[in-house]
Amino acid sequence: MRRWSVAARLLAASWLLVILMLPAAGALLSWAFNASVTAAFDERLKAVLNVLTVAVRTDIDGRLDLARSIGDPRFEQVFSGWYWQVSDADGPILVSRSLWDERLPVPSSADSGATTATSVSGPRGHGLRIVRRDVQLPGYREPITLMVAGPVGELDGELAGFRRLLIVSLSGLGALLLVLPALQIRWGLAPLRQIGRHLKEVEVGRRKHLDDDLPRELGALARAMNAVLDRDRQLIERGRGAAGNLAHAIKTPLTVVKTLLAQVPAPQRERLASEVERIDEAVRHHLARASAAGTAAFAGQVHVAEALRPVTDGLARMGARRGVGLRVDIDPGLRVSVDPQDLQEVVGNLLENAMRWADTEVILRTLPSGSQVVILVEDDGPGMSEPDRRAALDRGKRLDTERSQSGLGLDIVQDLVSLYDGRLELGAAASGGLSVRVALPNRASADSG
Amino acid sequence: MKLLLVEDDMALARALVEALEQAGVLADHTGSGAEADFLVSTEPYDAVVLDLGLPDGDGVGWLARWREQGINLPVLVLTARGRWSDKAAGFSAGADDYLTKPFETGELLFRLRALVRRAHGHAHPVLKVGDLALDTHTGTVTRAGRPITLTAQEYRLFAYLLHAMPRIVSRTELSEHVYARDQQPDSNVIDVQISRLRRKLGAEVIETLRGQGYRVVSTGDGA
Repeated sequence: MRRWSVAARLLAASWLLVILMLPAAGALLSWAFNASVTAAFDERLKAVLNVLTVAVRTDIDGRLDLARSIGDPRFEQVFSGWYWQVSDADGPILVSRSLWDERLPVPSSADSGATTATSVSGPRGHGLRIVRRDVQLPGYREPITLMVAGPVGELDGELAGFRRLLIVSLSGLGALLLVLPALQIRWGLAPLRQIGRHLKEVEVGRRKHLDDDLPRELGALARAMNAVLDRDRQLIERGRGAAGNLAHAIKTPLTVVKTLLAQVPAPQRERLASEVERIDEAVRHHLARASAAGTAAFAGQVHVAEALRPVTDGLARMGARRGVGLRVDIDPGLRVSVDPQDLQEVVGNLLENAMRWADTEVILRTLPSGSQVVILVEDDGPGMSEPDRRAALDRGKRLDTERSQSGLGLDIVQDLVSLYDGRLELGAAASGGLSVRVALPNRASADSG
Repeated sequence: MKLLLVEDDMALARALVEALEQAGVLADHTGSGAEADFLVSTEPYDAVVLDLGLPDGDGVGWLARWREQGINLPVLVLTARGRWSDKAAGFSAGADDYLTKPFETGELLFRLRALVRRAHGHAHPVLKVGDLALDTHTGTVTRAGRPITLTAQEYRLFAYLLHAMPRIVSRTELSEHVYARDQQPDSNVIDVQISRLRRKLGAEVIETLRGQGYRVVSTGDGA
């Protein structure tokens, strides 16, 4: 049940209502119609019964006869379904011509003077509706029973017609009620879907805030979400600031200790050095994590060429002083969901390494690639052998233990790239130098929409 | 090699100067940007090591100013802030290299030597003349693969001449770059040390040009 969407729940609820309520309403209507039609029919029969009551009289011999005819020809037509009968305790005395040789069954007696209506099975098995009344005629020895009967078939026809109409109209209504809620839910839930879409865009960094131009109930929600997003960004900023300050405070004394270590006698130096290394490692690791953690979710879509411009400009100047050219070939429209500082860190470290080893030129370029952003840094320096390349990526054996293998900065790059679920690969450039390939997933283009 | 260390943290400065001097590098130290500004425009340094957080202004600002004045010596920037946004600003201002604290003295030396070497137009870390080789990484001199022992002062002299090769280096230039500020020698001392070098390396390696100075010449190719 938990996995049902809100729309499915609303729809199921309204459909259930339609499926249960419409037949019930139909049954109720049909019953009410039946009752009222039957009552109307009974009224007609009673009217005839009144005529009959007035017409019956006692003649001089004390026998019963009709003072005048009932008038309706249907009572003359044999087995027309319309009958009347006058009887006393011994049996029928007078009957309508339509009864021919049949007689109406006398329902169990009712209160004297009251008129009652019942349904019975009459001649030839036709259903009949009978009204009866017991009266005491002056000059007759006992109370007589007057009955008028009409064919139920007439009623049934009317009822069937009504039911057909009812079924047709209720089915139409039902169909409408099944379709309309779907539209209603679609329209009603549209702002919710919009919030979902915008949240996704915030996640991939194409949007900083949710649009709060929404219906009243959801507008408040969106504004609250925006406040949370803002606070998150502030917390990250503050965390970064604190980490930076902490780093500054620790790093200078740490450098002093490292420098002084050279003068300590060898046996102690080894042990102190490894402890200092541990402090250093811890500071670096936690700094990198603090400044990188959580940025992925909130980093805007970064314009790659723009974010890297200060780095490439700076390094180009540095390269120019060293006689190494930096060729930058970045797709001008390229964007990626990576924090700009992290992007600068990754590319800056790779470029700095490349420029240290290059003979004449370093190339930075981006490759078109469907769901990824691929950044390639190549130099025309001495390059690395296949085993060295593998070792460089192996976190266990750090290549930069052999000091100034350029400090590689590769571990930082690797940390960051894996934080963004990217891939880092080393290869050989066409010129024989090292080629570093960084592939970052670009979620915006992977699931755009 | 002679360099200027601009660092306001006295503990670090003292430790670095000691460590550098042990490695045969002469280092002047100042803790303020203004003094550094004065020194770089008056003293002949081979390189500057510049800390960014100075009490009288950001190191990047001072660096940019020096570059504007046409002071072109190699500058290595020290900083605790290793983010690339900071580094990029440093490089744009004209830094030649960047070292993030904490660093090893060895790393600093390696980078400084590389900077100085490149500033003299040498790409390769091993400078050779004939069968003599000076490895700028390790600070060792070898002849045909066999090490030659030099004092720190002799090493500085030879390294400076070798970096400058084939240019002629005047006595004044040599004394400025190879001796500390407070112990500038008279020319006699230089002569004595040159002749000691000649004894260790071979007489024909260092040529004296009367009235002009010294230069290293390639002997192996029969110059």
